[in-house]
Amino acid sequence: MEASSASNHSNNTILELSGIDKTFGGTHALADVSFDLRAGEIHALVGENGAGKSTLIKIITGAYFPDIGVIKIGDDSYSSLRPEQARNIGVSVVYQEFNILPELSVAENIFMGDQPRGRLQLIDMGTRNKKANELLKRLGAENTINPNDLVKNLTVGEQQLVEISKALATESHIIIMDEPSAVLPSRELERLFSVIRKLRSEGHGIIYISHRLNEVFELADRVTVLKDGQLMATKDVVDTNHAELVHLMVGRELTDMYPPADNQPEDTLLEVKDLDIDGTVFGVNLEVRTGEVLGLAGLGGSGRTTVCRALVGLADVQAGEITYLGKPAPKNAGAASQAGLVLVPEDRKTHGLVLNQSMRFNLSLPNLLQFVRNGVLRAGIEKEAIENMVEDIQVKPPNPEMLAESLSGGNQQKVVVGKWLLTNPKLVIFDEPTRGIDVGAKAEIYQRIRDLTYSGVGVIMASSELPELIGMSDRIMVFHEGRIAGELDRSEFSEEAIMHLATATNGNEDQPAKKVEV
Amino acid sequence: MAVTYEDASAQVAPRSSRLIAFIRKNASIFLIYGIIILIAGGAAIFSESFRTPSNMANILRQSIILGLLAIGQSIVILTGGMDISIDMMARTVALTIATLFAFYNSDPSLILPLILLGIVIGVILGGINGLLITRTHATPFIITFGVAFILRGVNLAISTTPIRGIPKEFLLIYNTKIGIIAVNVIVMALVWFLVWLFTTRTRLGRGLYAVGGSPRIARLSAIRVNRTLVWAYVLSGFFASLAGLFVLSRMGVGDPGTAEGMTFQSIVAVAVGGISLYGGRGSIIGTLGGVLLLTILSNVFNLIQVNIYYQQLLLGLVVLIAVAAYRTPRTVRSG
Repeated sequence: MEASSASNHSNNTILELSGIDKTFGGTHALADVSFDLRAGEIHALVGENGAGKSTLIKIITGAYFPDIGVIKIGDDSYSSLRPEQARNIGVSVVYQEFNILPELSVAENIFMGDQPRGRLQLIDMGTRNKKANELLKRLGAENTINPNDLVKNLTVGEQQLVEISKALATESHIIIMDEPSAVLPSRELERLFSVIRKLRSEGHGIIYISHRLNEVFELADRVTVLKDGQLMATKDVVDTNHAELVHLMVGRELTDMYPPADNQPEDTLLEVKDLDIDGTVFGVNLEVRTGEVLGLAGLGGSGRTTVCRALVGLADVQAGEITYLGKPAPKNAGAASQAGLVLVPEDRKTHGLVLNQSMRFNLSLPNLLQFVRNGVLRAGIEKEAIENMVEDIQVKPPNPEMLAESLSGGNQQKVVVGKWLLTNPKLVIFDEPTRGIDVGAKAEIYQRIRDLTYSGVGVIMASSELPELIGMSDRIMVFHEGRIAGELDRSEFSEEAIMHLATATNGNEDQPAKKVEV
Repeated sequence: MAVTYEDASAQVAPRSSRLIAFIRKNASIFLIYGIIILIAGGAAIFSESFRTPSNMANILRQSIILGLLAIGQSIVILTGGMDISIDMMARTVALTIATLFAFYNSDPSLILPLILLGIVIGVILGGINGLLITRTHATPFIITFGVAFILRGVNLAISTTPIRGIPKEFLLIYNTKIGIIAVNVIVMALVWFLVWLFTTRTRLGRGLYAVGGSPRIARLSAIRVNRTLVWAYVLSGFFASLAGLFVLSRMGVGDPGTAEGMTFQSIVAVAVGGISLYGGRGSIIGTLGGVLLLTILSNVFNLIQVNIYYQQLLLGLVVLIAVAAYRTPRTVRSG
């Protein structure tokens, strides 16, 4: 092992990216970004969704080729890497979604790529288990994980250790951890941190991606902030603070994409009391009124989406009451949509559209009852309704027979929205309504949401994009680890305030979460 | 297909581009009927006995049993499933009804009640398939395969020799003709039309496509997925029972070999007709084409006396070619 110096801050740079540029189509995913990693260092990488963290990682692992820029690993410079090349020179990644096979043993997984062979080129299981045990010992897990255990019987945290062992088995000295804490229950966090510190003391360089800024301060030596594909700053952790990082991550101007917030919230439409869902959501209370936009903020996995699904009967509710129009809410999506309570789900490709069917088929799907006379779907009635909706939502091209998969992302999203608007809803829940769509389509969807409120429809908008929450909501409730960390009124809206609640840095007095005058 | 052109009447360019779009969208239909015309045309030129009107009428009549089974199979495959038990369901119905006829001394007054009983048996068996599939979430292939095996055993227990004693009047179902056209061919044309109407113009029919396209999206779109699936298998059982009754009427005896191998043929007809075996795509019109193609092929093979082994080989080739031709690029979905 190189560089076993006692100090964490040896200046032995093992990875250096300089002037990296990467564009996809028209969007600049990374613009002139430089980044470096030293041996025996934990370097945190932070930024909002879409800031370019993943793109940067994929350039290091060889999944993407940079358009411009130089990657220097050790003493060698590369203009781009191929994935197996990156692996061979010692880069490995521990993804959120583990790359391990649940039905195989720990040892089999650790040496998946290169099983120790004995005579006759057969796998030497004795050596393999011994080596696996040595690796687990380095992580301090030799007593809890047996190399012969099947991976599926391990806890998530233990599976993560197997994944890290896999990285060590390939003698990687650059280890990238993509939000490793996001998948862990809090009681397993401490063990992960001590493992990461152990790796640092062994001289590995670790790139640590996380949304949770308090982890950055607990763990990292340096931190790099990306925003909209640009490098904002690289700082020593001791020289910065939470407020500065949040400001670097989110500081940007609101544009006039958002229609004026002149809607008039009135009567209570839906009320949630003490909602508990299957170990992911605890004691959530919320209320939506007619003509109101309620924003739901929170990091990925904070319970936002689960609550949205629960409201239309798609989640396993353990306890609590959901009251809709003064009565208990419908228990399944069909009954909910008939009662005017609809969810425009996140991820239109897996939840929103039957991709291999036409726009007409998709728009009609939840509305078939409207087109039925005497048990038969009337083509004429359907055609008229669909053509009106296609014109209304301005899908391009306006051809109802177009297959959904051949529409662009923005147009697909408009179709998803349109299919639910056709049901004449009273309460529409939007989960990530504008993810991955272009600015023009976004503005149209915002206008659509505002129009809904004018006609007395209640709207719940869950989003990870803070500007749109601020631009559209009347109130914002912020989720943190399955609970509501706080509620903000329009006068209190700011990205900093939301991020503070969402990252749960409670008691951080230099940036009060409440009462920020706008 | 019910696509109207009236609003493109004025301009020429949109009309022709719409026509191209229409052809492209229904490419598999044009393909299958094109192949039928080619093969039937070729056979008509080279074989004198093929082009006789009575042979043509015969082909239509022979297509009924496979047609009924392929309709049920299409409905199930549209949902993304498969029903391996249809031949055994048909056989169970045929043998049970034959046994009852024999037991009651071929009493013609029992024809209607026993037909209804046969249908009820088919519907119940299909319902069992549907419930097992929706309750266990096991692969439909495995469930229906298991049910098929059980029914095979039941059928062997009912009889291993032909059951005699079917009343003569029952045979009229298959044999009644107006001129050279069998009445049941006309009825069958009506059945195909109704099934087409069902798959394209009813909520349940749309549900089949939605469930086959993505059960998750269907559920989110307020489609009752489990109910749709159970209905699909019930309908499959229903059509299988009709096929069983037809075989009984055609053979005049309860044949322990009823519908042997017809499950495979029905899947071939569906696949050749362009319904995606992954579900959610295709048209019953294509299945009709597949049924006609298989019936014509078998007729031609018999006329020009192709060895039965080569017939199997050629049928297998047809399947592989069809699957290759209709292979649609599919994005891999996780979970």
